[in-house]
Amino acid sequence: MDRPAETDPRPVAARADLEGEPEAGAGETLLSRTLRANSLWIFLVLVVLVLGFSVARPQAFLSPFNIQSIFTNAATLLVVSVGMTYVIVSAGIDLSVGSVLVFSGVVAAKTMTGIGGQDSGWGPIVIGLVVGLLGGLAWGITNGILVAKAHIPPLIVTLGTLGMALGSAQIITGGTDVRNVPVQLTAVLGQGRLLGVIPWLVVIAVVVTIVGGLVLATTRFGRYTYAIGSNTEAARRAGIAVDRHLLKVYALSGLLAGLAGDLSLAYFTTTTIGGHTTDNLSAIAAVVLGGTSLFGGVGTMFGTVVGVFIPAVLGSGFVIIGVQPFWQSVAVGAVLVAAVFVDQWRRRARENR
Amino acid sequence: MVEALLEARNVVKQYGTVRALQGTDFSAYAGTVTALIGDNGAGKSTLVKCLSGVAMPDGGEIFLDGQRILLDSPTSAQRLGIETVYQDLALAYDLDAAANLYLGRELRRPGLLGMLGVLDKAAMRNGGAGALANLGVRLPAADAPVGSLSGGQRQSIAVARAVAWASRVIFMDEPTAALGVVQRERVLEVIRRVRDSGVAVVLISHNMPEVLAVADRIEVLRLGRRVARFAAGDVDVEDLVGAMTGALEASALGANDVEANDVEAGAQTGGEGNTNGGNGR
Amino acid sequence: MTPRPIRAAAGLTKMKSSRPIALLAAVLLAAACGGAGETGAGPGQEGERRQLTLITGLKSDEFYITMGCGAMAEAKKLGVDLDVQGPEDFSAPLQIPIVNSVTAQQPDAVLIAPTDRNALIQPMRQMKSAGITTVQVDTTIDDPSIAVSSIASNNEQGGQVAAQTLAELVGDKGKVYVINVKPGISTTDARAEGFINEMKKHPDIAFVGQDYDEDQADIATQKVSATLAKHPDLAGIFATNLIAAEGAATALKAAGKTGDVKLVGFDAGPKQVEDLRNGSLQAVVAQEPYAIGQIGVQQAVKALNGEPTRKQIQTNLVPITAKELESKSRYLYKSEC
Repeated sequence: MDRPAETDPRPVAARADLEGEPEAGAGETLLSRTLRANSLWIFLVLVVLVLGFSVARPQAFLSPFNIQSIFTNAATLLVVSVGMTYVIVSAGIDLSVGSVLVFSGVVAAKTMTGIGGQDSGWGPIVIGLVVGLLGGLAWGITNGILVAKAHIPPLIVTLGTLGMALGSAQIITGGTDVRNVPVQLTAVLGQGRLLGVIPWLVVIAVVVTIVGGLVLATTRFGRYTYAIGSNTEAARRAGIAVDRHLLKVYALSGLLAGLAGDLSLAYFTTTTIGGHTTDNLSAIAAVVLGGTSLFGGVGTMFGTVVGVFIPAVLGSGFVIIGVQPFWQSVAVGAVLVAAVFVDQWRRRARENR
Repeated sequence: MVEALLEARNVVKQYGTVRALQGTDFSAYAGTVTALIGDNGAGKSTLVKCLSGVAMPDGGEIFLDGQRILLDSPTSAQRLGIETVYQDLALAYDLDAAANLYLGRELRRPGLLGMLGVLDKAAMRNGGAGALANLGVRLPAADAPVGSLSGGQRQSIAVARAVAWASRVIFMDEPTAALGVVQRERVLEVIRRVRDSGVAVVLISHNMPEVLAVADRIEVLRLGRRVARFAAGDVDVEDLVGAMTGALEASALGANDVEANDVEAGAQTGGEGNTNGGNGR
Repeated sequence: MTPRPIRAAAGLTKMKSSRPIALLAAVLLAAACGGAGETGAGPGQEGERRQLTLITGLKSDEFYITMGCGAMAEAKKLGVDLDVQGPEDFSAPLQIPIVNSVTAQQPDAVLIAPTDRNALIQPMRQMKSAGITTVQVDTTIDDPSIAVSSIASNNEQGGQVAAQTLAELVGDKGKVYVINVKPGISTTDARAEGFINEMKKHPDIAFVGQDYDEDQADIATQKVSATLAKHPDLAGIFATNLIAAEGAATALKAAGKTGDVKLVGFDAGPKQVEDLRNGSLQAVVAQEPYAIGQIGVQQAVKALNGEPTRKQIQTNLVPITAKELESKSRYLYKSEC
């Protein structure tokens, strides 16, 4: 009946040492934390990329126009990836974001053109933007209910809503992109700049990312997201309302996809229905590149930002130095696989203890 | 005679066609270590789940301090001061020790930030270090994820969490299973300390010498029923094993506590010989 | 003594650092090698060779690859450098970052096949205001003020040619159907329109409608299968692009009607040639992407030299049946130069 007396594989002396020297541990806290973070290494990759392209073609790569373009083009993906970070940290997945983005852009555009037309003022535009957000939120809540309450695996749920949201968007538009979007929207939100310097798209994406990062890192909402992703049953037994929290996480992802739909509409001046089929994978890749574990429980918003910008920088840099476009896919794919390999290797190392 | 702090009467729990608990009684007393023992499948874990709010019993009653209570979730048990160290530890392995100790009970910053849900990580880290120090546990790095710690350290954290929050009853399901000799002694020491603070400790263990070393009372489950109760001083390992396996008939057990029968007479189901035992004080 | 978890973490860092950085080094090396051959010193400087960039609508597509081949050949002939870029999908969100990066790179001229007639307006305006000469190839945007020249197939005429070819194949009578790509694509819509208008001139041919396949072969298969069920006596199908033709051929094969229902496709890539040979397709209407690329480079260089350019240039469309594969081989597209 007796259990094995010793399951800790270390010799007694080593263990005694370990427990006798708390100062050593405390002193290296910051260092160990930094070294543990996957995102640090991927950040170095980004730095090296930027340096490499800057050295190769400084006038082109570091031109204000190019920097601004990289940020602007990454803005919508960044917003989507912020939501995706929460979902993946909670050990879920959201494949529907690209379709929800399209759906939100479509309902926003239809609302604006329906009540205002191309020359409409801000009233109809704001109403349209809100409708876009609500459209995204509605799909997010749908995902959340099906995942948290009906206990259908998120992969299946969001694969289903991926098709439903895109199909609904196509039903609404008859498959044709809505093109007569109000000029004000595209001129101000899409092309306008804060103080004439920073594009509004970038400002919005940065604010969303900072708020999303702070909430994830410092609040109870963020803590619960990590806890659920780490060990759902433990979270439940600790009294966390797991189902309700997951519902909120998917709703957040939907809401941010809705916001991205608004931004995309303003930027592209059309609904780009066919242009977002791989947004979900881009967002997942960015989050995972940034060191967030697909198994949940681990990840940072900083990592996600880095993960969004690595493909963006690679894409821009490769075009500028004149490399065949195929190389970009190879490079991003390789970095992604390496990032996941490191994550799994790390987990195995831990579980073997 | 002291009244039981936590008392289960005639608890029934069924999983599909399997009756895990078939009208089980159980009592735990303040300031007392009660060992709950039984062979695999006797219903120990199920009983603990019912008494800690993880599972809802299908029948029977649970009393805390003589008041009938309803435990519909771990939270409602925790609110009543009932904590549990689960056999699987139930830790979030990616979070650090302090985050696990405060899981579900996070401290928030004062003022506006707190209202926005911002956590007071420093306070939790300090509190967590204190709770662990109480157990004599020192971690190599305060913010290391629990999953990177040794099995013994993880178990210590699970114990520390329950100890820190338990004000009335603490269930410990195999709390020393993953521990080395030194740490095991520490946990047993903690169990005694918690008992001395007036909390009712319920220890589930397969380790008979350990049970005899730390328990004041012993309750034995077999096939979903309580079949015997002992005062720890009166028994040896052989008696316990006999009661668990059914080799020792109820009639052969020392029938030396009439008062317990008196107290619990109303609750007895008239079932088979489950009236032995004592409060061991 | 270092506590264990920290040591573990340190070991980890070694692992993590070496791999991505080695990978990165390899990628950058590849980038440097790839870049060195094609670009000289700073572009656009006095006395340097002209730098041109072709931005296609889709990087791995024989039509655009052939266009690139034509542009390359012409660039060599005219003594200018040409770089070819293209997005992974035919979509504005993927093409615009490339356009922006090319703008930052500041070549002298850009040949572009815009993937959306609205969404590309702003990026192409920025390109123009950066002083880059712009030529549109294949597709166009709604703002005609940006490009100095636009070279494209006359797609409406292509539809007419397709209609005439199909009419001949079906003996000038019976039901015909169009499987189209997506509404809103100027080229394929023009092909369908030309086809439908031309068929009105054939009194014994009934046009039974068109469907869209979202540029996915399996959807085209579904739509064509459904149409075959609805019209068992269908005589002919016009598929407005390669993928539509592929899907339609699959549906006909499944229904056992290959060859009975005449299928006319568009474009003449290796896949279509193969289908013509094995009888899945009866005819295709070929564009001249090679010529589009050539003419595009010519127009760009003319503009850079201050010579007059032609605003609109339309290239020919040629019907090719299985029997004509040899005689018209110069119209077939290439998967590499």
